[in-house]
Amino acid sequence: MKRQKRFEKLEQRPINKDVIVKEWPEEGFVAMKSPNDPEPSVKVENGIITEMDGKKREDFDLIDMYIANYGINIENAEKVMATDSAKIAKMLIDPNVSHKEVLKYTTAMTPAKGQDVICQLDFGEMIMGAKKMRERRKPANQSHVTNYIDNPVELAADAAEAALRGFAEEETTTAVSRDAPFNALSVLVGSQTGRPGVLHQCSVDEATELQLGMRGLTSYAETISVYGTDRSFTDGDDTPWSKGFLASCYASRGIKMRFTSGSGSEVLMGYPEGKSMLYLEARCILLSKASGVQGLQNGSLSCISIPTAVPNGLREVLGENLLCMMYDLEAATGSDQSFSHSSMRRTWRFMGQFIGGTDFICSGFGAEPNPDNTFAGSNEDVYDYDDIHFLSRDYGQSFGIHSIKEEDAINVRRKAAKSLQIVFKGLGLPAITDEEVEAATYADVHEDMPKRDKVADMKAAQDMMDRGITAVDVIKALVDGDVKDVAEAILNLQKQKVVGDYLQTSAIFDDKWHVESAVNEGNDYQGPGTGYRLYDDPEEWKKVTDIPQVIDPEHFDM
Amino acid sequence: MSDINDLVANILKQVNNSDTASTGSTNSSSTSVSDGKQYGVKDYPLYEKHRDIIRTPSGKALNDVTLDDIQNNRVDRKDLRITAEALKMQGDVAGDAGRKTLQMNFDRAAELTKIPDDRLLEMYNALRPYRSSKDELLSIANELRTKYDANICAAWFEEAAKYYESRKKLKGDK
Repeated sequence: MKRQKRFEKLEQRPINKDVIVKEWPEEGFVAMKSPNDPEPSVKVENGIITEMDGKKREDFDLIDMYIANYGINIENAEKVMATDSAKIAKMLIDPNVSHKEVLKYTTAMTPAKGQDVICQLDFGEMIMGAKKMRERRKPANQSHVTNYIDNPVELAADAAEAALRGFAEEETTTAVSRDAPFNALSVLVGSQTGRPGVLHQCSVDEATELQLGMRGLTSYAETISVYGTDRSFTDGDDTPWSKGFLASCYASRGIKMRFTSGSGSEVLMGYPEGKSMLYLEARCILLSKASGVQGLQNGSLSCISIPTAVPNGLREVLGENLLCMMYDLEAATGSDQSFSHSSMRRTWRFMGQFIGGTDFICSGFGAEPNPDNTFAGSNEDVYDYDDIHFLSRDYGQSFGIHSIKEEDAINVRRKAAKSLQIVFKGLGLPAITDEEVEAATYADVHEDMPKRDKVADMKAAQDMMDRGITAVDVIKALVDGDVKDVAEAILNLQKQKVVGDYLQTSAIFDDKWHVESAVNEGNDYQGPGTGYRLYDDPEEWKKVTDIPQVIDPEHFDM
Repeated sequence: MSDINDLVANILKQVNNSDTASTGSTNSSSTSVSDGKQYGVKDYPLYEKHRDIIRTPSGKALNDVTLDDIQNNRVDRKDLRITAEALKMQGDVAGDAGRKTLQMNFDRAAELTKIPDDRLLEMYNALRPYRSSKDELLSIANELRTKYDANICAAWFEEAAKYYESRKKLKGDK
């Protein structure tokens, strides 16, 4: 065939490098509704669920049993299950029905019922639902802080800059798992230098992650994964009971925690049992609720290429975020792993979460250029900062971050690198040179950093764990080095762990260590004129509108 | 059928205990601080409203934990930990805010504060699939109950043991 010139050019557009496939329900390649999904049902006898979504209690697998025993508000279950799904869906966007009133219905739904309610909504309606059902009044955001060689000095500098930019949480992970203690330590020091009150985590295997938290080297955990089918769950090397116990282990050490799940994970693991992604995710959400965790990170996450390959994929992703909120859980809404070559599609990936507003719009946003993101790259990275600020300004809508001045970034990066230099010296770790401090201050990518002795660092990281180094030792080192304000911030973080206010749903801290959670700063959105509005928050609005790029009309050359 | 009935009774007991934990139940661990007082949403944040009541595990007031104390070794890492009492108070707050499952989690957590880190990690690992025999799980349940007075968590292990047997997640089932 002779090629038509326009079609030839279209074929070369970045969007056409994205892979999309036909639905294939048998293998789970279906977003919202599979012919193999069960119909919603519930039977309650003597206060016990004896049938759920077409299955009798004796046939329940471990996930069904766990959800039926702990996840569903049994008191309201029969009434709610008999209510038309469209009626519940309408309540989500009806300004006359409050957040609290909706929860009476939505917390009593079985997984298939939750799925059915979400299926009633189009994308715009889901945004309306998120506006009301988000737990915290004010949206926030989370960043990834990593680099390709686990350079601790650069980690500290990037953590400080991200904190100054407004991220309420920071998540690091490792290029090499043995670096974990150093990464946790670097981000601890960096984040508290950038802005006291920022929470941080180090995403590694379950046991190490808990150990780091126990030592005060991290302040929350998130990568506690759950799956929607029994075989996937077992392959993930846990059961609902072990995950529920782990949740309590974290709380027992005063560490904030949320679970992680997401559509497409069961497909990737090979055990979707022919069910839709939304139905399986509804099971994950209820598992999390049943475990008594305060929140969940979902929205497909690292499996995002699966739902986005099928029709209604990104509608499903926002739908699962919304369903998480409907079960009264904190929602950290993905928008993390990169999936598309198209900048237009990449932007639309987060538009629902951005315009609806969620507890953490991204989980997370790359606080380094993507090649240095050891989570395999994020949908948004440092080079998108100004685009995001313009969007916030355009729409009057919070992204949880704001513009900063170059000199402020330089100062805070230098201070974080210096603080870490002092901590390393105090703890007897391989020295950080002045040259490294200076490089980290001005660095963009890991190539900007002088090389460190990787083997020595790795040994020292292990040794640090063997010696039982904790946050108390870090504080001491900082006091000895006369960096009292950072020492004070890390001490305050430890004191907050003694009190546990930030274990409550959707909790974050401001820079005065005032906790903001669903308990004291719950979402009061109920239609126009209510709820959090960026343009009505003078301090934040100024940070978004009064930015270096703005031209003052007074200075126009007429 | 009796198996299901036992199970049901067990669950109901746990749910009921959880709902009434702060007003005193046989399962709740001792609450020396809260003296049976019911805390709620109005008491939150505890750091701002009840800092005088919250203590570190060794009984220090939070205002007595300063950089100077750390510098002079008057505070160690064990002192910067949450106590069962604080978790009970947070459980009250969660329950009052309508989050019963979160409260149940805090009730389990309150029991676990007494267990050393290493042993706690071992217990978690024992609950993972195909790790333990039924007897091993029941033995941990016994340890939780007798050594740590952790009745809710003991019931958790017993419940797991029962389901792991019927749903084939015990050692050797793979």
